[in-house]
Amino acid sequence: MKTFVSALGGVLLTTTTLAPVAAPLGLPEVPVPANNPLTPEKIQLGDKLFHDTRFSATGEVSCATCHDKKKTFTDSPLKVSEGINKLMGTRNAPTVVNAAYMHSMFWDGREPDLEGQSAGPFINPVEMGLPNHEPILKIVRSDAEYTKLFKQAFNKHGKQIKMQHVQQAIASFERTIISGNSPFDQYQYGGDKHAMDEAAVRGFKVFREQGRCISCHTVSQSYALFTDSRFHNLGVGFERINKDVGELTSAFAKAKRNAAEVDVAVLTNKNTSELGRYAVSIQSRDVGSFKTPTLRNVAKTAPYMHDGSLESLLDVVKFYNNGGRVKESDPTFDFQSGGIRPLDLSDEQMDDLVAFMEALTSPEYK
Amino acid sequence: MERRNFLKSAGALLAGSVLPISLVEVAFGKSKHENFTFAYISDSHIQQIKGNKFVRNFDRGLVRAVAECNLMDPKPDFVIYGGDLAQLGSKPEIDHGLEIMSACKHKVHYVMGEHDYYLDLGQYWESQLGPQWYSFDHKGVHFVVLNSIIVDEKWTNKWSSGEERMGVMAGLDNPLGSPFMVGAAQRAWLKNDLAKVSKDTPLVVLSHSPLQKIYKGWNFWTDDAEQIQAILKPFKKVNVFYGHVHQIQYNQIGNISFHSVMATAWPWPYPSTYSQAPSQLPKLTVEMNRADPFFERDATGWQFIDVWSGNTSMHFQLPENSPRTVAYNKKHKQPEDTKYQSDRIPPQKHY
Amino acid sequence: MKSIHHVAIAATMFLVYATSAFADEFTDQDLKNWEQDFQTAVIQGRKLFTDPNLGSNGVVCAQCHPNGANTHPETYPKLQKQLGRVAVMWEMVNWCIRNPLEGKDLSPDSPDMIALQAYITFERRNVKLAPGKH
Repeated sequence: MKTFVSALGGVLLTTTTLAPVAAPLGLPEVPVPANNPLTPEKIQLGDKLFHDTRFSATGEVSCATCHDKKKTFTDSPLKVSEGINKLMGTRNAPTVVNAAYMHSMFWDGREPDLEGQSAGPFINPVEMGLPNHEPILKIVRSDAEYTKLFKQAFNKHGKQIKMQHVQQAIASFERTIISGNSPFDQYQYGGDKHAMDEAAVRGFKVFREQGRCISCHTVSQSYALFTDSRFHNLGVGFERINKDVGELTSAFAKAKRNAAEVDVAVLTNKNTSELGRYAVSIQSRDVGSFKTPTLRNVAKTAPYMHDGSLESLLDVVKFYNNGGRVKESDPTFDFQSGGIRPLDLSDEQMDDLVAFMEALTSPEYK
Repeated sequence: MERRNFLKSAGALLAGSVLPISLVEVAFGKSKHENFTFAYISDSHIQQIKGNKFVRNFDRGLVRAVAECNLMDPKPDFVIYGGDLAQLGSKPEIDHGLEIMSACKHKVHYVMGEHDYYLDLGQYWESQLGPQWYSFDHKGVHFVVLNSIIVDEKWTNKWSSGEERMGVMAGLDNPLGSPFMVGAAQRAWLKNDLAKVSKDTPLVVLSHSPLQKIYKGWNFWTDDAEQIQAILKPFKKVNVFYGHVHQIQYNQIGNISFHSVMATAWPWPYPSTYSQAPSQLPKLTVEMNRADPFFERDATGWQFIDVWSGNTSMHFQLPENSPRTVAYNKKHKQPEDTKYQSDRIPPQKHY
Repeated sequence: MKSIHHVAIAATMFLVYATSAFADEFTDQDLKNWEQDFQTAVIQGRKLFTDPNLGSNGVVCAQCHPNGANTHPETYPKLQKQLGRVAVMWEMVNWCIRNPLEGKDLSPDSPDMIALQAYITFERRNVKLAPGKH
């Protein structure tokens, strides 16, 4: 039995057994796993867990530190995220908004779902820095407020409360962070041909045709996720490892066979981080590949790319126009996806593309 | 923590799983020979636009295959290039293709394809790469390379120029083409070459066209296939690898296992999708699905081949598609897809 | 010069339209003429399908689609991921011209676009309609 949630103008409606509620304009129903149905109690609990700084080694960092609602659930304008003691990771925090639609989590897809994702940052040395999950369980099993909330949400208390319940609650809260209804949605799916200005309309055409953006940032007949949930090597950051890619991949594959922590490796070592999806699959086709992020609300979540290396949307468009290179004089790497190629866009077309992306901002994040 | 355990088991799984990329493994079980692997790249169709401009998409396919070959761990003993390096057989195309291949860190053995041949009957190719048919031995396996894309002389000589001849042959579905064959001269050479080889030596035969008859209209075909098969019949274990078809095919005819290899340039439809003519695609072959033909590299790939006791496992590395392994099933005495043979890919055919 | 031209046209008109006296019937000759007209478009389409100048990089349609295989015109209209909506055949032809052929769109009602579709569809004759099928 699937359940669905819809966030309409901030009013949250959930159903567990009733017919699914309509999703916001431009988005499909939110997928909810059968083993973790959405309930208001879980959502409320997850909200609290998400904002609790006590689950970090310094007591200063929570999920919301890097996924701040005021910053469209990112830590914009940081290039890469900052965890405990000002430690910097290697990757740019992706937004939680509409993450519920992703087929896998993290830039490299190393976790299949929100439940799996939520457990990672707590015990990553450069994020929340806990040695293991025990301190979290200690708090939620003893804190009066949590005791009440876990009872309501899962009917569990004391030792019965497991990390799995913490993860399910956080994931449930995240499944309510859904936003559509942008000017683009009103234009494309709401029948309002004036919702986007002319530049954005022209930009949408470039997006679908000459720009080839739609190849990975997908749009469909009745909704648009702007991501194919797949992994591609664009050439971003690859210069760091291009020369040593043979040694790096062998070494990493060996380390992984010896049960090294992928999380830690990719977030603490800049070079390892650039292996991207390879760190998860150990398949050579995935070297330097990262997940396609959604473009919804992208105007609000600068900087861009997995390493935050591009400052503005126009920088990103120029990067693609140069065939996945910051400068035309930069090399094209052997592992770059064959789908990335110079686009021959005019300055006006590039500006139009930016105008189109600016029309993807939902009212909640304007 | 749970994740640590998960990684441990994932690690164990990885250690025991097949190597990434398409690899050929020839294995020997208890014999005195050691197993080895080689990689196979084919059908890059490097195409000149003009001057030093080439079709980027085809360049990138080959560049990528070479880069992945160089990453292979353990390393392949060598690489086979299965033909059609060039699109129109010209010097600039062959040179550009060889330049991309020069990044390959392993020894490469080349097979002649019709796109390399029909401009000048393989002259330039030969000047760069050596003879059009030859044999070599490696770790107890006898390898034979054939030029299987020859046609009768009357056809070869009836054109006003090499360009015209190449242009006709370059169109797979061009009705003015002519069926491929190995021809009498090479058959005689092959008999002679194999006379020195003991009948229990595993044979690997490399050709561009399938040495079996699948569909004449697109030259998935070798006219003297039966004669070649008869020459190979006395040997205990024979594996034939061919390019040309740009798709996964495999078959078993008597003592001979047939395997196609993928193209790095573009995929071809299975001949059965051409509704106006019957074809004989091997029943054994589980066809590839083409659910999402939007990616530059859709249904293209390269392969690693493990050779074990004279039988092979083919590991197809398919960017944007699930990797596939076709391995010899000892019980059924035929190559089979390790995952899809019994549980065939749900058909997404446009018939 | 001019008058001869007129005469020629008149003669052809006579040929075509003299075959049936009324609009509610047509003859074998009509069928033959119409088939011939269609085949003219098919032949033109085949020419374009193998024309290195259709795009900008010399790649031709037939390189990936021998005999028009894997074009399945009978499945349109259908969702085309790469176009982001339900689309018809000519839009996909243009996608191919823009992408693998690195060329410029043909206008949907141009004789070339119509000829390409005539050829592709002819190669798929007798296959039953399957709109929306992937």
